Amino acid sequence: MMLRLNGVRKYFGRGTINEVLALDGVTLDIEKGEFVCVIGSNGAGKSTLMNSIAGTFFPDEGSVVLQDNAITNWPEHKRAKFIGRVFQDPLSGTSANMTIEENMAIAMLRGKRRGLSRGVKPAHRELFQNRLKKLELGLENRLHDRVGLLSGGQRQALTMLMATLVRPDILLLDEHTAALDPKTAELILSLTRELVEELSLTTLMITHNMHHALAFGSRVIMMHRGRVIFDVRGEKVKSLTVDTLLESFHSVGIAEFSDRMLLV
Amino acid sequence: MITWYAVSGAIEQGLVYGMMSLGVFMTFRLLDFPDLTVDGSLPLGAAVGSVCLAQGMPPFLALIPAAFAGFLAGSVTGILNTKFNILHLLASILTMTALYSVNIRIMGGPNLPLLGLPFVFSPLIEMGITPFLASPIVFGGFAMVAGALLFWFMQTETGQALIATGDNPKMIKSMGVNTHSMIILGVGLSNAMVAVSGALIAQNQGAADVNMGVGTIVAGLASIVVGETLFGSRAGGSSVGRCVVAVVLGSVVYRLAIAFALGIKVGEFSFQPSDLNLITSILVVFALILPQLQKRLRK
Repeated sequence: MMLRLNGVRKYFGRGTINEVLALDGVTLDIEKGEFVCVIGSNGAGKSTLMNSIAGTFFPDEGSVVLQDNAITNWPEHKRAKFIGRVFQDPLSGTSANMTIEENMAIAMLRGKRRGLSRGVKPAHRELFQNRLKKLELGLENRLHDRVGLLSGGQRQALTMLMATLVRPDILLLDEHTAALDPKTAELILSLTRELVEELSLTTLMITHNMHHALAFGSRVIMMHRGRVIFDVRGEKVKSLTVDTLLESFHSVGIAEFSDRMLLV
Repeated sequence: MITWYAVSGAIEQGLVYGMMSLGVFMTFRLLDFPDLTVDGSLPLGAAVGSVCLAQGMPPFLALIPAAFAGFLAGSVTGILNTKFNILHLLASILTMTALYSVNIRIMGGPNLPLLGLPFVFSPLIEMGITPFLASPIVFGGFAMVAGALLFWFMQTETGQALIATGDNPKMIKSMGVNTHSMIILGVGLSNAMVAVSGALIAQNQGAADVNMGVGTIVAGLASIVVGETLFGSRAGGSSVGRCVVAVVLGSVVYRLAIAFALGIKVGEFSFQPSDLNLITSILVVFALILPQLQKRLRK
């Protein structure tokens, strides 16, 4: 077992009139090598679920165990040793003022002690170039360019490489293609598939796109009002269709959500 | 008219305040942390350095306790900001205000004259170099060493994490860096540089004074914007080297401009040294709104 969430409950604005129960006692086991796709309407708790794993905040109740570590009270930067993350905003995962190689050098040290030796080590350049070649975006020849000069899609592709440069125990993808144009989104998705297969990663991906969820997930989880209301894994995923997913949405009365999904 | 004496004095000042400007550059540009602690840590460095000097410590050695005190003051601001969630500006104002009392305690009074004591440039004067040249040479050396050290540090693993903390905290946290530690370290190092600068200024002026820090932040910002405008692009990351040179040169040009302004006489009117802060503030305001004006004009 890779990750276990046990009765995780999270309130926002607790004790105020705006109190929201974002996670209502979520219990979830993720096995090693699973590709878990999380779907659900806006405000269902998908991102909160992911943030509770990443450590952006601490849960009000419940526990998080990653491999054998009880990480419930670990701060974000300490968990980063095990976790690779890609955010929805393509500008969030890289430092615009720094060069491509400086960004990758930072990613080489994820979860390691940073000392006073040179940040960008010449010996790593070849590795950086080899990884960048994979993208077929010509970035391998632009190691000294500031990342701020790159397009959103290029930056997201670089973020994908950086999140996996040191193999993470679990890769968290938070709607990482939602802010990209359809063509770039496809590119990032195929890169995702390649990297996940190459490194046999355990992955948790939030998506708004049911087709993607069914195409990528070895397991599909649906969330609604802070709870997991639907959890299908293994062979059963293959027999799922968008229509059956929509039906399950309707059965819990989420009409507004399914209408939106049909547009995607 | 401006005299040769004033020019040499301005260059000397530009170099001795250059290290202070580098400290301000580190917080303001690299860490994105507007830090007013410097108005208190400059006289703190002067006070600690001068007291050590007066106790018989050699002038170079006296800079070390000054640096240490500056680091401590900066890390207090950093801790107030990160661990206790006090807005960075307010945190630094609190430290700065507290330092006023601390500095008077350290000196045992509002000022401390340094008569008849050896200074960092004394060896050169003993070698027969005129004081005119001796102090710019020594202060130039200090500015170069400080710039080189800052440049080196920013290329290290830790320095790179510090730049990223200022640029994109969300990203650097996800890469396993404790941004709180980075901010405390960065603001600490910045104020260490400012304090050493203060200790040198005290030796240059022959006295430490509790009010010598007033307007430090604005003078530092002025040096940065002048330097960036004249000598280099505004950016962090890999262009740190160029920025470091630009900031020190900017500090020199800024002091020259001040000396020039003080030399202006129009009829009965001339500027007084006490007008400096007004002139500097106007200069910084102008530099801050210039990019916006350019944008509007382009539309």
